[in-house]
Amino acid sequence: MKLTRRGFFVLSSAILSSIILKDKSYATSGKYATLIDITRCDGCSNEPLPKCVLACRVQNKVRFPEPKKPIIPYWPRKTYEDWSDKKEKIDTLTPYNWIFVQKLQIKGKEIFIPRRCMHCDNPPCVRGCPFGALTKRPAGNSVINEKICFGGAKCRDVCPWFIPQRQAGVGIYLHLLPKFAGGGVMYKCDLCKDKIEKGEEPACVVACKDRLKEKSVFLFGERKTIYELARQRAKDEGLFIYGDKQNGGTSTLYLSKVSFDDINKALIEKRERFKMPVEVKNKIQTTFNPIGKVVISSGFLSIIGAVVAAIISKHKEKGGDENGR
Amino acid sequence: MAGKIKRHSIIEILEHWILAISGIILIFTGLGCLPLFKRYYIAEIPGLAWTGDFNTVTTVHYIASIFFVMAVSFHIFYHGIRGEFGLLPKRGDFGQSIKVLSAMFGIGEEPPSDKYLPEQRLAYVGMGIVIVVITLTGIIKVLKNLEWIVLSPNVESINTVIHTLSGFVFMIAFVIHVGIVICFKSNWPLLKSMFTGWIDEDYVKQRHSLWYKKIKNEISEMEK
Repeated sequence: MKLTRRGFFVLSSAILSSIILKDKSYATSGKYATLIDITRCDGCSNEPLPKCVLACRVQNKVRFPEPKKPIIPYWPRKTYEDWSDKKEKIDTLTPYNWIFVQKLQIKGKEIFIPRRCMHCDNPPCVRGCPFGALTKRPAGNSVINEKICFGGAKCRDVCPWFIPQRQAGVGIYLHLLPKFAGGGVMYKCDLCKDKIEKGEEPACVVACKDRLKEKSVFLFGERKTIYELARQRAKDEGLFIYGDKQNGGTSTLYLSKVSFDDINKALIEKRERFKMPVEVKNKIQTTFNPIGKVVISSGFLSIIGAVVAAIISKHKEKGGDENGR
Repeated sequence: MAGKIKRHSIIEILEHWILAISGIILIFTGLGCLPLFKRYYIAEIPGLAWTGDFNTVTTVHYIASIFFVMAVSFHIFYHGIRGEFGLLPKRGDFGQSIKVLSAMFGIGEEPPSDKYLPEQRLAYVGMGIVIVVITLTGIIKVLKNLEWIVLSPNVESINTVIHTLSGFVFMIAFVIHVGIVICFKSNWPLLKSMFTGWIDEDYVKQRHSLWYKKIKNEISEMEK
């Protein structure tokens, strides 16, 4: 079969469109967002444990790690990260607890903040994973593929909130060089990826809605609607927003009566592992991308230079040959 | 230059060393992009604390890639347009390479060679393919981060894995390349020529006899 020029372009376009997303707008910012209204959160004080935390644990229980023991330390270090004997711990993020509620006292008032992955628009964890184990899904959620995660914990190091948590003794690294490379598998909230792909809401959102009805702390929906609602409420009620600008924007917005500067100060004073800094720059956007533009443009300039230099040198050689004759 | 033959132009020397130096930096910072340097105490060596910070390591990786991409692009287009394909493999290069490598270990005699040894031509293509793969996947990563192209999650993942794995292959190929040059005395004049551009006529006569014949034929043609 002869491939015509037109046919070539049609075929190329088909291949390209198959690898590029159908709807470009979903690829960067994501389709959905969550609003977490901490003005409404009481930490489920009359419940044995917060409903969002319980729902998350029930929903994801089948995916929790079951490490192979004894666990080998991360040579040459003598340590390893093992949370398997702290499965019931709910006051922090662990491989067995992907959402938790922080409790703070600010100016005599109690504040409860549900914390989990922010699902950044341009997530450093996804862009930085050397094994492609993390992906940013069109729905807006960042997802860890536990089958190819080596547990190097780079995603945690580059995350402004240090969200992903590692469990040793599980994952692909056990089949390669478990003593020398890898460290387990990283775990974090993926916004109940299977549920939202089916058009359902994440388990934490559903559980909170069941308890508080229209006064639910969590609201999940189309990103545009959530952003508009959060901004409108912030304007009307004099609330503070967190998550719209931090790290270049995220799919999780917090609303609070107390400023996030004060909240972060309180978190620092309390020596919490998970803070809420107001100034969070996205290094991909602020540092890497400007250099990336130089990489691309200098590559083009180099090609132009090569073409010009080759033509000139060939022309000179030709001239030289003719003169020699 | 008496008793010397020009082997490399200044352009080739620059291409080689820009690629080599940026390549070394890219390998080192590429390893630093893996979570290795902190774990293996590299970041605790005085002066290397920066290698424990992924953002700094990635920044240096990006800067080095400017020079790497420039050298690769220039090399392909400059020599492609000039029709300089002497480093591309020829029929029978595989068998000849075995003979050349055996001779380096003192087994048998080295066959007569053209300007480049047959194993150099094979290595060039192997290294070339790896470099092109690394460069293209790296550029895709840059374009994707810039959001100038949008990839599906799976394609983004596959591209990342290919970039990381081809980085390992490049590192191994780099070590073999440097090892073969340094470990075998017969290759030292070639290393020298990579700095000066010139090579001893006697060396060419003995090791690159086919090339030497061509040069002599060209000279006698010009004199006619």
